[in-house]
Amino acid sequence: MDWDIVWESVPLIWKGAGATVTMFAWALVIGTVGAFALSLMRLSAAKPLQWFAIGFGWLFRGIPLLILLFFAFFALPELGILLSPFLAAVLGFSLWTAAYQAEVIRSGIISVPPGQAEAAEALGMTRAHYMRRIVIPQGVRIMMPPYTGNAITLLKQTSLATLVTVPEMALLTQRIFSNNFQFIEPIFVLGVIYLGMTTVLLIISAGVEHAFRLKV
Amino acid sequence: MDALVTVSGLHKSYGDLEVLKGIDFEVARGEVVAIIGPSGSGKTTMLRCINLLEQPTGGRIVVDGRVVCEQADDGSMRFAEKGEVREIREEIGMVFQRFNLFPHMTALANITEAPRAVKGMSKSDARDLAVELLDSVGLANKADAYPLQLSGGQQQRVAIARALAMKPALMLFDEVTSAVDPELAGEILLVMKRLAQQGMTMLVVTHEMSFAADVADRVLFIDHGVIVEQGPARDLLTDPQNPRTRAFLHAVLDRAPMTEDDDSITASGEDAGFGSTDLFSEQAAVEPESGPDDG
Repeated sequence: MDWDIVWESVPLIWKGAGATVTMFAWALVIGTVGAFALSLMRLSAAKPLQWFAIGFGWLFRGIPLLILLFFAFFALPELGILLSPFLAAVLGFSLWTAAYQAEVIRSGIISVPPGQAEAAEALGMTRAHYMRRIVIPQGVRIMMPPYTGNAITLLKQTSLATLVTVPEMALLTQRIFSNNFQFIEPIFVLGVIYLGMTTVLLIISAGVEHAFRLKV
Repeated sequence: MDALVTVSGLHKSYGDLEVLKGIDFEVARGEVVAIIGPSGSGKTTMLRCINLLEQPTGGRIVVDGRVVCEQADDGSMRFAEKGEVREIREEIGMVFQRFNLFPHMTALANITEAPRAVKGMSKSDARDLAVELLDSVGLANKADAYPLQLSGGQQQRVAIARALAMKPALMLFDEVTSAVDPELAGEILLVMKRLAQQGMTMLVVTHEMSFAADVADRVLFIDHGVIVEQGPARDLLTDPQNPRTRAFLHAVLDRAPMTEDDDSITASGEDAGFGSTDLFSEQAAVEPESGPDDG
């Protein structure tokens, strides 16, 4: 491995970091909001909502993420919906995230013992208040490890956006392959950048988990 | 009689299983009623119907003039509307067998949460109230402790303070000493006894016969979903008339009915220093109208 080439590759690849991180952040935010809605549907008493949530999870966890991206980028235009590569990727990643995180959030919600719901009810609290002040702060602690696992997977999978022409880090790495016929150094740099990013996610997750720990 | 709670013809079924088979009773303001009976007799279900944690399948419940539920002529049940249920629940404090404290909040925050959220009390008022209440249950020094740092007896006393923070007119106690070590039951019972002395209206599902004898004005004995026998606490516990009551008391007391000198609730040593604040004195002043219900 030639360290000069490594250092030359870093800025070329780093140019794509913005796209990687913004796709990841949008998909995580949109997907988490969707996942929360899906988990409430799944737990609601209304059968149609339950079935919708179950069907959503079945569909978007059951087909490869790559196919979601292809559909958003290549098939939607035929249906009259033209999305930029970036938006198509964010759409696909958001659907994937919502489907996976819904189960995580649901498990967090049901981890809170039902006796607390009764106590909150008996005190006259509304469901929304109970959710916000009692369930979520406790659920977060339970959710954090699997939620982070999915978030890390999402971050790495943003590299699939290469295939719908988003100029993110993996795409720029491939440009070095074809322009300079250099492989090992850019691959090494790309791997190290992803590893750095996932490490940051793990540290944030550990911090959140610590902040929500139960004091015993 | 000035009835705070009126229950008539109360039925509750789960599918084919009929748990309550027509329960009628009233509770006067300031009265303490103990509900005893074998496990599975329906006493907890009956208690939970009063604040609609269980939805009755028949009958009528009125609390403080508000209709909690009633049965229409066609047999269908009508329940108070959502908003009204919340208002009724503000009037009714409930303490559970398993405390059900919010484990991510301090003892103080457990108590201030509902007054702030439901009654819109200011942060400092809620805090002052919580401090007073913690003092009154002997836990003035535990305001910043988390539930899992407290013993069962302490947790249950926080739970009582939490319910009292809503200034309820009625308190429901559902076997509140059953999940704590026997030596810690006394400190909970002492808090309840003081509350009764201050004039709180209380419905107490309990296995603590000496507490019932000492504190309750009246005892209901429930078995198989009906009230088998009821009467003044002393009479029912020392001289039960119904053979089922007699058999039950014999079993739980492991001997014949109680003797007259059998009572006295004592606190276990550690936390005997209960605060002197008498939060419910205004209610105590209004109301020593407790007494046996003969009609």
